[in-house]
Amino acid sequence: MLVAKHISKKFGAYQALDNVSFEINKGDIVGFLGKNGAGKTTLMRILTTFITASSGSVLIDGEDITKHSLTVREKIGYLPEKPPLYGEMTVKSYLKFAAQIKGVSAKKESWQVAKVLDDCGLTRVDKQKISTLSKGYQQRVGIAQAIIHEPKLLILDEPTSGLDPIQIMQVLALIKNQREQRTVLLSTHTLNEIEQVAQRVLMLKSGQIVLDESLDELLKKKQLTQSHPVTLEQIFIDYHQDTPLTQLSTQG
Amino acid sequence: MNKTFAIVKKELHSYFSSPIAYLILIATLSLFNVFFFLIIDQNHEASLRDIFILMEFMFVFLIPLLTMRMFSEEKANGTMEFLLTSPLTLTMIVLGKYFSMLIFFTLLISMTATYYFILEYFGNPDPMSILSGYIGIWLEGAFFIAIGLLVSSWTRNQIIAALVSYALIFLLYFAASFTKYFSGSVEHFLVQISTRTHLENFAIGIITPSNVTYYLTGTILCLVLTRLSIDNRLWQ
Repeated sequence: MLVAKHISKKFGAYQALDNVSFEINKGDIVGFLGKNGAGKTTLMRILTTFITASSGSVLIDGEDITKHSLTVREKIGYLPEKPPLYGEMTVKSYLKFAAQIKGVSAKKESWQVAKVLDDCGLTRVDKQKISTLSKGYQQRVGIAQAIIHEPKLLILDEPTSGLDPIQIMQVLALIKNQREQRTVLLSTHTLNEIEQVAQRVLMLKSGQIVLDESLDELLKKKQLTQSHPVTLEQIFIDYHQDTPLTQLSTQG
Repeated sequence: MNKTFAIVKKELHSYFSSPIAYLILIATLSLFNVFFFLIIDQNHEASLRDIFILMEFMFVFLIPLLTMRMFSEEKANGTMEFLLTSPLTLTMIVLGKYFSMLIFFTLLISMTATYYFILEYFGNPDPMSILSGYIGIWLEGAFFIAIGLLVSSWTRNQIIAALVSYALIFLLYFAASFTKYFSGSVEHFLVQISTRTHLENFAIGIITPSNVTYYLTGTILCLVLTRLSIDNRLWQ
């Protein structure tokens, strides 16, 4: 579904991404990990064609994102870190607008809007102005606009950031429900969330991929060397400090 | 075309969902009405010539206020990322924004058409010179809007967008006033780039290809530059 080859991105002298390559298969939910500044958002912005890579190539559903940018964007649903919402619009009028600019046919528009309102639990607030909604509801509207045109690939940049535990649970359930319909790539700081929804983990450190493995395999592999249950959180810390936490625990 | 129309609809909805659009319409029309009666009372002429000159002067101040938010707000709110990652061409985005403001501006000046009917009732105005004046003021408004749109694509700060638009529009409006300090080709250049030089002809009922070309070229140039500015993500 997605093939990224040797992607590098420089902002002036700063190397944000350095020779990043990975593949994502159809139907996968992939969790994207990394500290702040690791290059997650930059990579997501390149995949969604918002910015261009300094070098390297990306194929989405077999099409090059720079050569067939418009066709590729029809296949992508994207929720940036800050939900892109127009506060003065009602939920329904915003989703109609999103459907129109994302190429949903006039015939399907009303049906599609009603479907995502229902899927995202927004029917009750569809006539409310977006600016009056809670953060959790605004996040759901952000996800709703990302799936309104039934994209094959859904890219979510920290979809649970700033939400309370109940809202996080609801958003994660919504993401899990996408599994059967589309491929999902999501970034988050909360490792527990990746464990709940993702099948595979990609970890970025200083602009490079340092881990690309199925979550089950990864936990199993680490478990073999440890006497106690290993969590993704421990693995994450291992990759970001000099003395691995898993070794410290064993030594202790 | 449908996608451009969707942007136009959304933008117009956005203007009219806040009281600012109504306030601008009411305040501008009220001022025009006062000056219309003052000018007619003073000149005793069935002509809108001086009204067009006044309108031009007022649009110099008004249009940057209307255009300052067009792209700046999208950038500040993060919705620019939404537009640019949707299957829209840059031309669709620029034209959608531009046409929506042009429609608002057309609505504003069309409301002053009542002046013609008032003149017609009391006197014998020349309909062709009035039509020519309206074409001139519409073309000039279209040009000013394109300038405002271009400047708004450079920054995420609406105040900066308004101030830079003022600077550019003032420069074009007052260019002819600086001719006394220059001579030769510079003087000629200043006369040619001044909007006042070109509108004066329209206001007295003369439409020349060079005047129309001036406004159309300026407008198209600004729209092309806006597209380039967004493509280069200059605000990032």
